[in-house]
This record gives sequence, structure tokens and C-alpha cells, in this order.
Amino acid sequence: MLSNLTLGPFTFAAPLALAGLFALPVIWWLLRASPPRPQLEALPSLRLLDGVEEDDTTPSRTPWWVLLLRIAAAALAILGLALPTFDPEARTAVEGATDPLLIVLDDGWQAAPRWSERIDAAEAIIRDAPRDTGVHILTLAPQERAIDPAERFSQQEAEARLKSLEPAAWPSVPTVALERFEASGLTPARVVWISSGIASEGTGELARALSETASLEVRVFQPRTAFAFTGLSAEAGGARVEMRRLNVNEAAEVPVSARALDGTPIASAVGVFEAGEDVAEAEFQLPTAALNRISLFTLPNTEGAAAVWLWDSSAKRQRVGLVSPGSLAQPLLEDVYYVRKALEPFAEVTEDDLDTLISMDPDAIVLTDTGALPSEQEARLEDWVRDGGALIRFAGPRLAGMDTPAFVPVPLRRTARSLGGALNWDTPQGFDAFADDSPFSGLPVPNDAKVRQQVLAQPTPDLASKTWARLEDGSPIITATGIGTGTLILFHVTASPEWSDLPFTGTFVELLRRSIAAGRGESTSDASEGSYVPRTVLNGAGRLTQPEAEATPIAGENFFAEPISQQHPPGFYEGPAGTRARNAAAGEEPESFTEWPASAVLLGDSAPVNRPLAGPLLTAALALVAIDLFVALFVAGRFRRSSRAVAGLAVGLLACGLVIGPPPAHAQFRSPLNEVPNEEPRSKLAEATDQLRFAYVETGDADLDEVTRAGLFGLSLTLFRRSSVEPGPPHGVDLETDILDVYPLIFVALPDSPTPFSAKAIANLNRYMETGGLVIIDTRRGGTPNADGSRPLEGLLNGINVETLVPVPRDHVLRRTYYLLEAFPGRYAGGRVWIETSAAESIAGTGASKVSRLILGGADWASAWAVDERGRPLRTVDGGEQQREMARRAGVNIVIYALTGTYKDDQVHMPELLERLGEDQAVLPTSIGRDESEDEE
Amino acid sequence: MTATLATLRAEAESLARQLPGANLGARASSAIHAGSAGRRRAGSGEHFWQYRHHTLDDGQNRIDWRRSAKTDDLYVRETELETARTLYLWADPHPGFDWASGEAAITKADRARVLLLAVAAKLSRDGERVGVVGGQPPGFGGKAIERAGEDLLRVKRKDVLSVPQSTADPLAVPKSSGIALIASDFYDPKEEWQARLKPLASRCAHGLLLAVADPREVAFPYRGRVEFHRPGSDRKRLLERAENLREDYAERYEKHRRDLNDLGKRLGWQVIWHETTEGPLRPASELLAAMETMGQERRL
Repeated sequence: MLSNLTLGPFTFAAPLALAGLFALPVIWWLLRASPPRPQLEALPSLRLLDGVEEDDTTPSRTPWWVLLLRIAAAALAILGLALPTFDPEARTAVEGATDPLLIVLDDGWQAAPRWSERIDAAEAIIRDAPRDTGVHILTLAPQERAIDPAERFSQQEAEARLKSLEPAAWPSVPTVALERFEASGLTPARVVWISSGIASEGTGELARALSETASLEVRVFQPRTAFAFTGLSAEAGGARVEMRRLNVNEAAEVPVSARALDGTPIASAVGVFEAGEDVAEAEFQLPTAALNRISLFTLPNTEGAAAVWLWDSSAKRQRVGLVSPGSLAQPLLEDVYYVRKALEPFAEVTEDDLDTLISMDPDAIVLTDTGALPSEQEARLEDWVRDGGALIRFAGPRLAGMDTPAFVPVPLRRTARSLGGALNWDTPQGFDAFADDSPFSGLPVPNDAKVRQQVLAQPTPDLASKTWARLEDGSPIITATGIGTGTLILFHVTASPEWSDLPFTGTFVELLRRSIAAGRGESTSDASEGSYVPRTVLNGAGRLTQPEAEATPIAGENFFAEPISQQHPPGFYEGPAGTRARNAAAGEEPESFTEWPASAVLLGDSAPVNRPLAGPLLTAALALVAIDLFVALFVAGRFRRSSRAVAGLAVGLLACGLVIGPPPAHAQFRSPLNEVPNEEPRSKLAEATDQLRFAYVETGDADLDEVTRAGLFGLSLTLFRRSSVEPGPPHGVDLETDILDVYPLIFVALPDSPTPFSAKAIANLNRYMETGGLVIIDTRRGGTPNADGSRPLEGLLNGINVETLVPVPRDHVLRRTYYLLEAFPGRYAGGRVWIETSAAESIAGTGASKVSRLILGGADWASAWAVDERGRPLRTVDGGEQQREMARRAGVNIVIYALTGTYKDDQVHMPELLERLGEDQAVLPTSIGRDESEDEE
Repeated sequence: MTATLATLRAEAESLARQLPGANLGARASSAIHAGSAGRRRAGSGEHFWQYRHHTLDDGQNRIDWRRSAKTDDLYVRETELETARTLYLWADPHPGFDWASGEAAITKADRARVLLLAVAAKLSRDGERVGVVGGQPPGFGGKAIERAGEDLLRVKRKDVLSVPQSTADPLAVPKSSGIALIASDFYDPKEEWQARLKPLASRCAHGLLLAVADPREVAFPYRGRVEFHRPGSDRKRLLERAENLREDYAERYEKHRRDLNDLGKRLGWQVIWHETTEGPLRPASELLAAMETMGQERRL
């Protein structure tokens, strides 16, 4: 039996079915012989024909085109049943001896772009090889656990192995592969090299060696566009990333996006390749604060380790924890305020309690004037410092008041020295120049800063070595000591201007900055010392993952010299000088490899190697039969009356039948949410009064505002589809200037470091809530707001007139305004949602409650709701799609709550409603309500 | 399609208004026969109309001495002119007649009814009596048109007793003589129609045959394998190649026309041919014109 038949570029899997083609003439004859169904006609004058006989009684022929149609349908069906495959290169597969087959697969980072095409091509080659061909696989990127080229796979096994392969994050090294090939002692009959087309070390040797052993076919899949970052130059207020491509024929613009470590996009830029150029730069002009947040640059449309550039940067923004002292009675006089102001330009400041901060492991912790710490807390703090933290302490009355100040770099005298007071001879002291061995060396001396009071160090032998800065009279003003790998730094003055003018000066910022850097040991130790441990590494697809077991630490002096390999993959490494990054293609100049041996057969990269045709053929046959059906009915005159409708139906059916392939991925939906852009711009007020709209507070953080807007847009869309609430696109509002009363709810998403609302904004919000508005505040931090002791709303909402907030009770109406909900998840799950006390408690006797004017949560709802213009979600959600759905439901419930209040709780009309539903009045229970609704839940 | 009496009448009236003024009296009138209808002018009749002064044209014998004796003048007594005819309408109730192909928008019967009623309306305005063969007794004026319309539609609904049960049954014979206006497609053989119309023709010396045809019946545009059937009967015929019979059909159709014309001559009636694709105005005026010339033929 014939297994396969190849005719030109077509291969038939069931060639016997082709014998059916011989039946076509018979079908032709039969079709001609059998008359078509007669047409039915009314003719009142039929009697006129009485007595007239037909001379020629041969039935009239089926029209030729109907015949053609039917024959074509039959032919297509026969061809389809023969299971043909379009495979223009099938012929190459059958020449000469082909067993065993060696697949040489380029799997370095160069091969990551178009990886799936490569694998498809390899699988197609294996599939098309004669049955029972032994397949060997040789991968080019050196790694442990690489497939042994000596191992012989069956075709199925080989396909499975290929499917499980992934590109490596390190480059291919053909020389190593050549050694492995030679060591295996394999003599393949046919070699197919699936190449990236990029020259690597030893590509030529390997090609020559392979072409000497067997016939070599090379399939080159070159990256189509920019595929690798090869360098980065940072400059003031900007960074330029260099990228490369191979295809230099045309000018091209390649977008590059800069992201934070968690993948949040920060900025994007476009690199322009001139025609004929293989290198381009994308320039990012950003404020330093934004620049500092950038951890990686990505080529959005390209996969691979080289399509991501990791930016460690010594100028990396530091994470500083600021121990929050609790409520701030007088913000401008508090120590924390000055430290925060000084840190904000260069560091990411987190304010929290000490335990939380330690658990967050920031670069440095700043502890303003504090007295004694609880001993176990002090122990934890010391452990943290020992592990490499920088603790910066400030003096103050409390520290000075301690008997023996503990956990300070140098022993202190018990009281503070004051200078220039009424009872003192001394005048306030200025700063001395910073010593050369001090981390502060080179900083300008703050001449106008005077110190009026300080804590004094007890003279000890090592005091001088621990002193980083002195006053003019030589008394230490900043001292530090190393504990473990960390540093403990003490400013002998307060962080507020109470004791000195230092916090007013620009030097204060620099002093803090250098203290933190010195505390982390960055400038105090040499970068070439020690070893660097991989922390997060790039995988072959260009995503950050945990390092594999093979990844090993790297010595500091070899950090950049060591080639990228499985042992030292690209990624972030941590070592004495902080975090350093290794990049896959740093400094490379990838070029096309062209010097293939003359005997090698070079094949293109036409992606779909073979294409099964049976489906389309059979579908076409079916479509022709359908057409024929309608034609036959038309010929028989069945559709005289309703021919138009039938024609429409026929066209519709044909369209259904002929459209082969998946339906469009994104069905367009039409809703008033898609506004006509050409409309005259109307005022927000007019729009909001015209149509129900939600509002969000514009924070000034463009990304956040956009996400919030998209979130409310997504929520509006959800409501539009699921409920009778049909809101328009949301509005961003300015609490101070916009009219708020027209919005049913206002969504407040707090930025990471919120600035307090102005008094006018607070007054407007209060008026809004008093007149029945609902304010939703989302701290976007996950967890339960305030549960961890942090007070994100502290200061922000001062003056907002709400009652005490309590978590939403279990049977609260908010949980069942539309959906029955257990929780209100957003991007984060598990947090509590808080409402006003009087809204949580039912009013005695009635079972009803007030409507809360404020809903507070931290689940980052907007991110979960956020969709783009076509309705696709923008952000990932912790719990996947299910949680996103629950988030949407939570949003729907909140909106319905805002619109209907406690209506669902109000059971006054329940009997009537039930009656309307057809219930028998006699069996109506006298009280329906809570018990039942709890059952529902 | 003219389905209701109201629409039928409206169409007929509007058609009648478009027709040129017809005066049967102008050429034919009194010569045909004397009826009882007063023509509201002086003429030969039984009822007094007016006295007028004697003129030189009048002969002496026309002087009404009784009236003239009262004064010095001579008077002539004139009677009212009494000439009236009865128009008998009939539209074929056969289902094959109430049929239209896709080409024509209106069935043959509907067109025939409109034409009949329009002509009747026109003549009725001129003082003629109108009735339907086998229907209510003929009468004058708008009332009679109303009744004629009812009868024509009732014939369509087949609940009139006098509807012939088969194509061979002769039509009912009216009590008084008149002009017959018979509309049909006349596709049955000549002999049958002769038998049907003979009794009627014996009472009505004058008559018109309105032969209405559908364009498809004339052209026979069919091709290929066609099964024909005649509406209202179970007559069927399967033609393998309809186009081959087109010439035969045309021949037959020509014969059909000749036969009908023959029949008309034999009965002394005129035949009007009409196709439904054509507008109703031409056949209507042809009908009227034929009526106006009716008396003259007799005189010649």
C-alpha cells in the first residue's frame, strides 16, 4: 500500500482516494442523463395546447455551469479525502540516504527571536522524514543536561524533545558543539541546521565539519528587526540604549520601553535605524527620579535574553525606610519631615514602623530621635545592620535623655551640649572641612549652618577613626561604625532645625545620600573585590526568574570579563558593590554568517513548511454543494416569491461556509462608551449631566490617572453589559475646581506617596458627601488599610468629615446589591473594605441602615478593572482571571450601592414583589429578610 | 389588486373620469330601442315635458289647440325624450381568469372588473341602466353602480347562485333586453363559448366581448422542463422542453383570436382585446367607442 504520494509540492497521505477521480466522467454522464426537477408554472391558457405534442422529448439538459459546479464539488471532495499537504520542499526530504538525521539547533540567545518558527521547521523536517528515521539533536548553546547528540530518538520522541526545548539566555558556542559532536562519534546521513544566521565563534568550523560528514541543509531564521541591546550610556537626565539588527535594507523605527523591576512601564522611546545601518540608539530623557526607577529596557516585539537590557546603575535609586513616629501634630517641626524632604530627590522613601521596615529590607533605615528601643526590636535591628543594612540615627532630646544610649557608633555623654545659649560662653559652631578619608570628602562645607546643640561623644581611642564629620572645634558631629557588613551612622544633631541649621542646607541632602551609599558599603569597598551572587537572572525568553542551580557566583574582578554562559547567565548579581547587571549581548556586534560551505544547501525561512489542505478542500466542496442546492431550487422556481430573502439567506450561508479559520479574536462591541470623536467638545459638566458618569480624582501621576481612568472605563463597560446601568466614559476631576455633585461616585486612587488634599478640596469633598455622593478611596497597597499600623490616610484626609470606619459586616447590603460577594478583591485579594459605622449597623427595628459616604479599601480595584479601548485587560491580577471577575463584581456591587443605597435591604416591598412574581398571597411569610438573604450567601 | 368594493369603485370612478365624454344619444341613442328612462329634454316620449311657442318649422298638426285656445299664441306640446338602455356586465369567475403572472401587476379579472365598472359608471351618468348578468336587477345612477360592483365581486367570491358551475353552462338570461359586456379570457374552445353566450345573445342584440390576456399567455416565454397546470382545474401538462412548443403555441394563440373574432361576428358582438401589462385607459375608451357606434351598424 502506498503510504505517501508526492506530486510536485503536494503530498497525499491517502493517495488511494485519488482513484475516485476516475469516477468523475461517470458522474458527468449521470448528471447529464438525469433531468433537473421541472419548473412549476401556472398557465390558464393551457387548453390552447391541447392536441399539440412535443417532437423532441429528450429532457432538457442541466445547464453546463451547474454540471461544472457539481463536478467541481465532487473533484474537490475526492482531493480532500486524499489528505493532501502543500509542502514545497518535500522533494528535498527524499533524496539519498537520510538515516540517521541530525538536527543542529541553534539555541543561544541569538535564536530566541522566531524560536517557535524554528521549532516548527524542525518538527516539519522530522515529520517529513521517511518513517523510522532515527533523529539526533545537537544544540549549540553549551549547557549541563544538554541533549547528547549520540542519543537516537524516534521521530515522535524527537518532536517531543524539540517542543520541550527553550532558547538559552547565553550565546551559542559552535566550537563546544563541535567537540560534543566529535565526541559522540555520530555519523549522520543527513544534517539539517536550524540556524540563527548570526556568526558566532566557530560557526564556520562546525559547518565545515558537518558538511564533510553528511549532506548539510541549512535553514536560516534571521531576526527580522532589532533583536539585541548591546550597550547603554547614561548621562545627565537621560539614558541611551544601543541596539542592533541584521536586516539593514530599510530604515526602521523600533520602540523600546523602559520598565521598573516589576515590569511596570515607565517610559518608552523609539530607536531609528537608518537604511543600511545595523545599529541604532533609543534615547530616554527623563527626570532623575523616573530614571532611577528603570531596571530594564525591553524590545516589546522581540523575545530573547538579548532583547532585555538590565540596568543596575550605581545611580540606582536607593530604598530608604523612614521610621514613622506616629501621629504628626506639627508636621513642619517634626524630624521626619526634614529627612523625608531630603531623601525624596534620590531615594524611594517608605514610612512605616520599624518592624515592617526591617522585614522590607531597604537599603537604609533612618531613625530620628528615639529613646530606648524594645530589646528584641533592637536585636532585630542589629541583625539587619549586621546583614548589610545602613542605619542612620539622629540625636535629639530623647537620645540625650537616655542614661546610656545604646546602639550608637560611639559612647555618648549623657547630656547634650548646647552652644550659644544665654548661659553659655560658647558660640554656635560651624562645620569643619570634611576629612579626606571621610565618605563626605569633597563635599562643600555648609558655612552658614551652625550647630547650637549636640550630643557629645565620649573620647575613646577609636573615636577619630569612627568620625566622619567634625565641628570647627573638633567635636564629632557625624560618627559611624561598621557592624557586620552593615554600618551604623549617627548624626549628633536632630533632623529638625531645632539643634542646628543643617537640615536647611543642601549639604544635608548630600550627607544623607553619601551616608546611605557608604552604609551600603558601595564607595567604601572596591567593586573588583569579593564575589557576586546571581539574584535574578534572565531566562531565554527574556524574563526575570530565579537563578537555576547551575548559576554560580562570579568573582568581582572577572565580573565583566567572564563570558555569558549557563554558569554566569545574564541577570542581576549582588555583591560588595551592590547590585550589578550582566547583559547577554553587552558589547557584541552581531553579524550575519555567510560563509557556509559550498556543499551546504541553503534554504530560506518560509515559515509554514507544510500546510494540510484537506480541510479547506472539503469545506470548498461543501460550499459548492450548498451553492448547487440553492441553484437547483432556483431552477425549479421555488423562490419566485421570496427570492430576495432566499438570496440573502443563501449569501449568508455561503459566507458561513466559506469563511475558514478562526473568527476574529476580538469581537467588536458597540456601546455608547465608544464615543464619536468628531463631536464638538462639550464641557465636562454638560457631559456629566447628560449621561451617568463616574469620576476619579486626578492625582497628577499620569500613569496612575490613566490606569484609574481605564479602570473606571472597564467598570463602566462591565456595568453596561451586565446591568441596566449604562454609564458614559469616566471623567477625571479636580477636587478644587470641578463641580462634583453631578457624579454618583468619585474614585480616589492614592499615589504611592500621596500629597495631602488642599483645604478647598477637602471642603468640596465634604460637601459632596453630605449631598449624597459616595467617595471610594483605594490605597492600592493590598492588604487591609491600616491593619499593619501604617496610616496611609494620615494627613491626606485630615478634615474629611466621616465617622469611624469599620470593616464591611458579613451581611451588609454592599455584599449583595447585585452579586452575592464574600470579599471585594481587586488586583490584590484578601484585604478588608471599610465603611462608616452607621452604615454598617442597622437602625434598630427597621433592619435598614444608612448609606456609607465613604468606602475605603486597598485592593487596587482600578488596575483589576482596567481595560483598553478594545476591552482587553491592561494589568495582571494576582488571582488570575477569576479574581479579575470577582473584582469586576465587587465594582458592580459598589456602583449599585452608590446608585440604590440600601434598597436591597429594604424589605418593605418584598410581599408585593413576591406577589408580582406569582406567589400565593396566603402562604406569604410575615417577615422576609435577613434570614433568607443570609441563606443566599 | 382590487380586493374590496371600495377600492374597485374608486379605481373605476377615477378611470371613468379620465374617459372622454360619451353620449350614446349622439349617434346611436333612440334608434336602438325606446326605454323608459326620461332624458330630461324634449323628445319623443309619453310624459309631458313643456309647452313652447309654435315656430314656422313645426307643422300645423303639432299645435296643441287646447293650450293655444287659452291665449292668442300658438303652442306646441312637447313630451320628454325617453331613451334608455340596459348594460349587462359579466366577468368570468373562473380562477384561471383571476390570475396574474409575475410580469403583470394585476390579475386579468381585476382589470376586467375595473374596466367594466368604469364603463358602467360612465354610461350610468348618461342615464343608462346598469346591472350584472345573474345579479341584482339593473337600476339607475350611483346606486346601480354600487350594486354592480357588489355583484362583480360576489361573482369573484363565488357565492352567487347564478354562477355557472362549469365552463359549459350558459350564462343567465336577463329579463329585459340590453347591451351585454362580457369579460373573460375565452381560452375554452369556441363551441363552448358559443353555447354559453347564445341564450344571452338572443336577448341582447348588442354586446361586447372583452378578452383580457396576461403577457405570458401571449408570449409563452417558458424554457426547459416545465410542468404547467391550469388554475381552478386539475389539468396538468409536463413539457420537457417548453421552448420547442413556442411556435406551436403562438399558432394556437393566433387561432384562438380568430375563433373569438368569428364568435363575435356570429353573435353580432364586437371583440376588444386587452393585455394586462397595458394601462386600462385605452381598452376603456375602446369599449366606449364601440358602444357609441353600436346603433350605427344596425342602421347601415
